[in-house]
Amino acid sequence: MTEFVLAVALGILVAVGTFLVLRRDLVRVVWGVAIISQSANVYLITMGFGPTGSGTAPVIAGAAAGPGTADPLVQALVLTAIVIGFGTTAFALVLTYRLYEENGTIDLEELAASGAPASEEVSDD
Amino acid sequence: MIEPTAIAQVGAPGMLAGNAPVGPLLVALTTAILTLGLRGYPTAQRGLSIIGSGLYGLAVLYLAASVSAGGRLVYQVSDWPAPFGITLVADALSLLMLGLTAVVALAAIAFSIRSIDREDQRLAYHPLFHLMVVGVTGSFLTGDLFNLFVWFEVMLMSSYVLVVFYSGPGETRAALYYAVLNLLGSGVMLLAIGGLYATTGTLNMADMARRLADPAAFGIDPAPVLGLAAILLTVFALKAGVVPFQFWVPAAYRAAPAPVTAMLAGVVKKVGVYAIIRLYFMVFAAAAVPVSLPFVGGGEFLSFFGPVLFVAASASVLLGGFAAVSQPDLEGVLAHSSIAQIGFILLPLAVAATVPDLRVLGVTAALVYTVNHGLAKSMLYLVTGAVRSATGSTLLADLGGLVEHDRVLSGAFLIGGLALVGIPPLTGFFSKLLVLDIAARAGSTLALTIAVGGAILTIAYVTRTWNAGFWGPPGERVLGATREPALVGITVVLAATLLVFGVGFDPLVQAAEAAAGAALDIDGYVEAVGPDRFIPAEGGEAA
Repeated sequence: MTEFVLAVALGILVAVGTFLVLRRDLVRVVWGVAIISQSANVYLITMGFGPTGSGTAPVIAGAAAGPGTADPLVQALVLTAIVIGFGTTAFALVLTYRLYEENGTIDLEELAASGAPASEEVSDD
Repeated sequence: MIEPTAIAQVGAPGMLAGNAPVGPLLVALTTAILTLGLRGYPTAQRGLSIIGSGLYGLAVLYLAASVSAGGRLVYQVSDWPAPFGITLVADALSLLMLGLTAVVALAAIAFSIRSIDREDQRLAYHPLFHLMVVGVTGSFLTGDLFNLFVWFEVMLMSSYVLVVFYSGPGETRAALYYAVLNLLGSGVMLLAIGGLYATTGTLNMADMARRLADPAAFGIDPAPVLGLAAILLTVFALKAGVVPFQFWVPAAYRAAPAPVTAMLAGVVKKVGVYAIIRLYFMVFAAAAVPVSLPFVGGGEFLSFFGPVLFVAASASVLLGGFAAVSQPDLEGVLAHSSIAQIGFILLPLAVAATVPDLRVLGVTAALVYTVNHGLAKSMLYLVTGAVRSATGSTLLADLGGLVEHDRVLSGAFLIGGLALVGIPPLTGFFSKLLVLDIAARAGSTLALTIAVGGAILTIAYVTRTWNAGFWGPPGERVLGATREPALVGITVVLAATLLVFGVGFDPLVQAAEAAAGAALDIDGYVEAVGPDRFIPAEGGEAA
């Protein structure tokens, strides 16, 4: 049951993230990226349950694992990923603000219209 | 439980030599921290930065000397045995890539000390540059999939800031697109890594290779692994700038300072290529698809990735080549040429994946091409930087007649351009020959046609750039240009390297052959890392 709920939650998160990434508003794009990377973290956590619903800590190697043990490795991985995600999201937001200062807009289409050499790359974003 | 006393130094000939794999990492990291601390003393900071790059080269040389011929040096971080701890593995493949990194990084740092404004260098340039080297080094050495993700992030974080370094409107925009795309890539990479952990029960590359070779014994279903590996491939393709993930390349390369672009195009891009070779030709190579797939059928994973790589490589060669012919500026030509050349690197890999008999040859050809392109393209970017600092522009319309102004610099560009085209006796000739040879041996007319077509496009854009920028009547900017002998000198040194490796081609091809052998030797890699050394034989922890 937990698996199902988490799977649905993950699906919704990724869908929302993808929707936001495809917006014209740059702040929403950054939000979308943040949500997608967070949903990757949630996905990693769910991997700790294992296919049977109760995972095993890799260090115990199956010998003494109780029935309700969750894999602690993925949690360590997620902590690392959260820290990295925090730093990169903050950096992307600062860049967004800088872009607003310089161009007076965070609308991607307006940015594309005003940008000289990078204009062809914008439409691909 | 593991007995702590049971932890042995694996493959360590001596105490110091056993620690050699962390050497380059520590040197680069220490240099980054010290240069950050020396912000108040700009002269000392610059001196330390260049000494650090030199020491990095020495650390790589020492590592190369410590790794016995055809062997591997394994370093378990904090003595945690594989597969629990983080493993660093130095083999011929890692060494080849590290050697390229050392050469390009030293040239780029020496170049930036003269070419970038002193005040601009002071704050963050040197620490960031060395942190990027740390990330690249870690990616080349690590034997752990999640650790690879972390090194990618270290490398990318610094490269984001270096791309936005000049902080103009164009740079901010380029850096934001670059950052957003790579953040998405990181998210996708994390998803794929999580899935691989859930299906194979391990993140250690050697352990994963061992388990995938015998999936039934560990209760692994190979079908989802194939899908997850395919997701992971998109991330590496994004890093390498392969079509259809190439669109960030020109904007980012135009924005970054010339020495940084030399690193990005020469080394950072190659991390994607390295990861493709390491993971798809080693870790996933032992696995086979149980179900029959459309167009491909069953069989090993590589027979599925072969066509994918082939399409991506062909599209890169053609798209990059055609786009490079019509670029208005030097950076644009080189950036699009970079996309095309990555296609040339992937083309032999695609053939190697499809035809098992040609695997060693194919990977060798790709690696030789990687070294050739890494040296030639970083040199060309440094020439571009020297042209910009001399004339203030890299627009082909503003240039012209550079030969009259500076014969040495133009000569360096000519050598780099000819290396891209593939004229003997430069390295480019042999690398292109190897690629064509692989295509011919595989009997693939299509691959041969694309390689020859790409070569013709290369001739077209190099000739056009040469004619517009270096020949003809001097433009106004060229007439008023200044000279920077130090900058020109560095490009000459790199050009000489290209010439030396081209004339004495044997050592390079031997190194590449050894690297290809090491990359394809799954059993040797698993044996060296020894993920099964401390686990009960039944491997009961597999989920």
